[in-house]
Amino acid sequence: MPTIEKTAKSERAEVIFGSPIYNQVAAFLIREAHLLDHRLLNDWTKTLAEDLIYFVPVRVTRRVQDFEHEFASTGHYDDDYASILVRVDRLVNTTSAWSEDPASRVRRFVSNIMVYETDTPDEYEVVSYLLLTRNRADARDYKHLSAERHDRLRWVGDRFLLTNRKVLLDQVVLGMPNLAIFL
Amino acid sequence: MLDNVQKGFAKDSISRYIDLENREVSLAVLHDEAIYEEELHRIFAKSWLMLGHDTEIPNPNDYVVRFMGEDQVIVARSPDGSVHVSLNVCPHRGMHVCISDSGNTRAHKCIYHGWAFRPDGSFIGAPVEREQMHGKIKTKKELGLKQARVHLYGGLIFASFDQNGPSFEESLGEMKFYYDMLFQRTDNGLEVLGPPQRLTIDANWKTAGEQSASDGYHMLTLHQSLLERGVMGGEPNSAHESAPAMYGVNVAGNGHTLRCIPADTTFTMMAGSTTEDMTDAQRLELMPPPGITKELLPQLAKHMSPEQMHVLAKAPPVVGNIFPNVGILFIYVPLRDGSLGSGLVLHTMNPRGPHHFEWSTWFFAENDTSENVKAMMRAACAQGVGTSGVIEQDDSDTWPHMSESARGVVGRTETMKYQAILGQTRAADWPDKAEVYEGFSKDDCQWNWWKNYHAIMTR
Repeated sequence: MPTIEKTAKSERAEVIFGSPIYNQVAAFLIREAHLLDHRLLNDWTKTLAEDLIYFVPVRVTRRVQDFEHEFASTGHYDDDYASILVRVDRLVNTTSAWSEDPASRVRRFVSNIMVYETDTPDEYEVVSYLLLTRNRADARDYKHLSAERHDRLRWVGDRFLLTNRKVLLDQVVLGMPNLAIFL
Repeated sequence: MLDNVQKGFAKDSISRYIDLENREVSLAVLHDEAIYEEELHRIFAKSWLMLGHDTEIPNPNDYVVRFMGEDQVIVARSPDGSVHVSLNVCPHRGMHVCISDSGNTRAHKCIYHGWAFRPDGSFIGAPVEREQMHGKIKTKKELGLKQARVHLYGGLIFASFDQNGPSFEESLGEMKFYYDMLFQRTDNGLEVLGPPQRLTIDANWKTAGEQSASDGYHMLTLHQSLLERGVMGGEPNSAHESAPAMYGVNVAGNGHTLRCIPADTTFTMMAGSTTEDMTDAQRLELMPPPGITKELLPQLAKHMSPEQMHVLAKAPPVVGNIFPNVGILFIYVPLRDGSLGSGLVLHTMNPRGPHHFEWSTWFFAENDTSENVKAMMRAACAQGVGTSGVIEQDDSDTWPHMSESARGVVGRTETMKYQAILGQTRAADWPDKAEVYEGFSKDDCQWNWWKNYHAIMTR
């Protein structure tokens, strides 16, 4: 079973908090949350690189000694740029994407951002926390999801594009009935 | 008529809720806690339940933890290669013996007092052997983990806690003829592509259970977005008239059902690609059933009878269920390289109280498929079905509504109706196996599911 790289990235150069690059990365994530929370999905697709890999692995509970096997080869999302466009097209351009019609009210809180340099100039690895709240129709309660995002961003002269996202969920058994929303 | 006016929780028989004559089922069956308890005893502690696939535990001492009803079990491979299903409850004080979802161990040792068990569930011993801490009243042989009966079918691991019930094959009955076309058709069989997705759905397990029993009709409306996007045949917004993929052969028996659908009526990308006057071999060459590549066709011919080959050529089984709680999708899907591929998917709907169930989703491929194609199939499955799939995210949105309807004291007097009746019809060239419904996909299969449910609950 393939493993996810270790979360500790200390061997790589960290981009210091508050530097211009760090701030640009933070701004990217905040603006992205805005686009997704407001269902501006076509605009969101413009922030994606065409070589995007978007993967949300299934998680299993393992003993501490086996922690490297916690994340599986199967995914809740196992997508690339083309398949993300298909999903967005269904949500935006059809009149029968019932899982999000009426839409759920979603807030994505992104925090704990750490940015690392990579071997490729203008590409950065970004680790952040995601806290997502979701409410739908007249439900009294919220569905929650917390996760750690592992992103790779590419600077293309005037803005960042997302080239890789791996979302490490904190839940093994998801508490929401679907992931009709992007993480 | 049904006596649907309830005074508090009903404690009497299920017959009050199922009108066999008029083919109606009261929504109360989705809500009643007494019925739920009966289901745990009569269905989940007795039926053959699917727990996974033997390729999930390929090596000696590998194990996974799964559920049979609300009972947690350890599914483990012994050093001799055999698969055992043991209740994950320590006979000492009731602690879970195993506390991770999967792993590999020669001895499952309870973390409470240290009692230890082999992968086959047998008791090894308790710490401080000289003091014989398991006592002198029971022998070591009596102190193993409770065992379920196990049957491997095409590598799928089925288990039952009913030691004296029918064999697995007896429980399948004549439907085995059709399931063999999905699960027992190649030299090296199926391979699981990773651990299952799991999610909790706020609905009674039977909402998804009865739907999996070949509810074809919902596709036209609930999955209309597929028609709108031109994935399925038919006109974008008037699909109800052209009704793609609604005509085929539905088969049923013992609550097990399958829909057999001619491929060329389903997908626009295959429309017109077959002709009536082709032989079975020609049709299969042009359009192998989902999961079978052209290279695997010789294996198919080796394992299938001519009758089965005819079914696979005419209308292969693609969706359905195994009673009580397995959903099947062996469907054609486009792969990311643009080719027409397949998604092989199994679900289980496992009850977690009357108002919740856990929905698990496994992806498969034939073992002899190339690694590259397996990776594309795994991705296509995640994109189409399960947690985020563009097809099934609409299903999991529907089921909670039904359970919520049953919360209302008036709502639960409404009924689910299965009154669109096709009746048994069989073309001369279709094998005389199980109940056969050829034509438009109506309620016959789902009613077979409910009749079987009723029979078990009133036995």
